[in-house]
Amino acid sequence: MPDQFLAVEDARISFGKGSARVRALRGVSVTFERGTLSLVMGPSGSGKTTLLSLLGCLLSPDEGIVFVDGVAVNELSVSEKTVLRRQKISFVFQAFRLLHSLSAIDNVALGLEIREGKRADNMVRARELLLQFGLRGKLNHDPNELSPGEKQRVAIARALAGDPPILLADEPTASLDAEAGRNICQILRSQVDQNGRTVVVVSHDPRWKEFADRMITLSDGQIKQEEQGNKA
Amino acid sequence: MKLAWQNIFHDRARFLATVLGVSFAVFLMVFQGSLLVGFLRAASRFIDASDFDIWITARGVQAFEFGATLEARAREMAAGVPGVVETGRACMAFAVYRKPNGKQQVVALVGADSNLGKHFPVPQLAETTESRLLDSILYDASDRDLIEVASLPAAVEINRHRANIEHEIKGFGGFLGVPSLFTSYRNAARYLGFGPEDGMYILLRVGKEYSVSDVQQNLRQRLPEVDVLTREEFAHKSRMYWVIKTGAGSAILTAAVLGFLIGLVVVSQTIYANTIENIEEYATLKALGASRFFVARIVLIQSLICAAAGSILGLLAVVPAMNYARSLIPWIHTPWWLPVMMVVLSLLMCSLASVASVRSALTVDPGRVFRA
Ligand SMILES: Nc1ncnc2c1ncn2[C@@H]1O[C@H](COP(=O)(O)OP(=O)(O)OP(=O)(O)O)[C@@H](O)[C@H]1O
Ligand SMILES: [Mg+2]
Repeated sequence: MPDQFLAVEDARISFGKGSARVRALRGVSVTFERGTLSLVMGPSGSGKTTLLSLLGCLLSPDEGIVFVDGVAVNELSVSEKTVLRRQKISFVFQAFRLLHSLSAIDNVALGLEIREGKRADNMVRARELLLQFGLRGKLNHDPNELSPGEKQRVAIARALAGDPPILLADEPTASLDAEAGRNICQILRSQVDQNGRTVVVVSHDPRWKEFADRMITLSDGQIKQEEQGNKA
Repeated sequence: MKLAWQNIFHDRARFLATVLGVSFAVFLMVFQGSLLVGFLRAASRFIDASDFDIWITARGVQAFEFGATLEARAREMAAGVPGVVETGRACMAFAVYRKPNGKQQVVALVGADSNLGKHFPVPQLAETTESRLLDSILYDASDRDLIEVASLPAAVEINRHRANIEHEIKGFGGFLGVPSLFTSYRNAARYLGFGPEDGMYILLRVGKEYSVSDVQQNLRQRLPEVDVLTREEFAHKSRMYWVIKTGAGSAILTAAVLGFLIGLVVVSQTIYANTIENIEEYATLKALGASRFFVARIVLIQSLICAAAGSILGLLAVVPAMNYARSLIPWIHTPWWLPVMMVVLSLLMCSLASVASVRSALTVDPGRVFRA
């Protein structure tokens, strides 16, 4: 019995009806081991984001099972999934998705508030998280005053607020230049090595290979290849 | 909570546009509502001003302003009905008024017995000497320019009879487009050329120990040739006549209904647009694990702040506008409940619109949050 910490089993999902029907995943089974960084690759439209959405409990498969922290998610109600997501899963997006009207520190504090409720020390802890990613001078900057790399670091700080064990990232470096991208790779890798988090990165970026324990290639809604990464 | 305020503060221009939208809607609803309420109130004001229980009118009379003569002996017959403890008379008709400067003007002449009630505009014995009472006339302050008397009392003519303008009153301003003059029933009947058998409105007071509707039934049997209505019935009939059967009334009613609907639509649209603007961010919150309640609360707070600010601004704008309008439209009227109701409705529409617009964000579409 493999570790069902984070896994999908024979997942199938399609969108649309009739001739417009797209079979985004056609029987995907994959397990992501605790404390690893997995890279999901594949051409555009191969189902990478769809797979990540299943893992993040944002979508339910038409058939198959999704496991998060050993729980079969399929049987949960929408609000139970929300609770599971709040406790276990965080996202990092290609477009950062910071709240435009909140400063860097308020963005992170809001992440804390969502996950742990209103607490007196939220601002202090938000500050600590940002300092950890070298954003000392940027605490009170609005997102539009930050560079893309800084935005993504704020977004990662927000994702780590509340200490979720699972981090799902969709093209986290696609909007960044080479240096900033590398910095993000290192940060996510260190979350695995130092904090034992489980990270799944979807990316076209070949640079990730040297940071990944495992690489999965999707093609046309199916797993085409699974190989060891350079870190393994 | 902080996010709601920050969104407002950060997007001040949009906030201002939203507030202006809501304030326009509130202004529109209160103003149009005041026109309708004032019109309805004015349409039955003479009837409401009397404190008698029953009105007898010629058959088919629709409104106080358009009375017809009936037989004066109906009054004696009514007085004999058990339960009727007091009677009074009133009449209203158009007449020609000759100003002190010799110019002529058509006026609405209202005559009433002095026992009709202390709110009814009629010269009171106490205010004027017995000898003058006979031809004493009152007019409303809003008609001052058309009455054109330099000082009071002023000798004028009504239908070629000598008369004296004695007093200026308030609250019965021009509703028919011609000035109104008020005098005693006896006087008015004389000016209007009523014969000894003619009457127009006969008002009856019913004794405390009698049921008004019983007395009304009894009167209907004894006086089959006339209409016997309670005060509320006649007031209602009068209002309905004015607001539905006259062109002016239907226009005001239509404008009020349209103003109300447009106001609600503007409020909903404005708030909807304002919420939709940040819908992506609400989807992000949801993806981060926020509950529906958490997101809905932020959206609701933000909308209610906009709605409250817009309502306050709208009401602030309505006050001077109403004061100005009153100088042109003396009967316009804003009861206290009208702005309260409109503001409550606006807040309600805001809440509905914002929650409706955020519904799509509450079920996160993954394509949405992962889109680059
Ligand atoms: N909500 C949706 N409605 C309809 N079709 C969808 C939806 N989401 C995904 N699809 C389709 O499913 C297929 C897989 O989409 P997915 O976003 O998972 O691809 P991807 O591998 O992430 O591609 P990319 O590299 O371009 O991001 C695509 O053909 C896409 O058009
Ligand atoms: Mg994708």
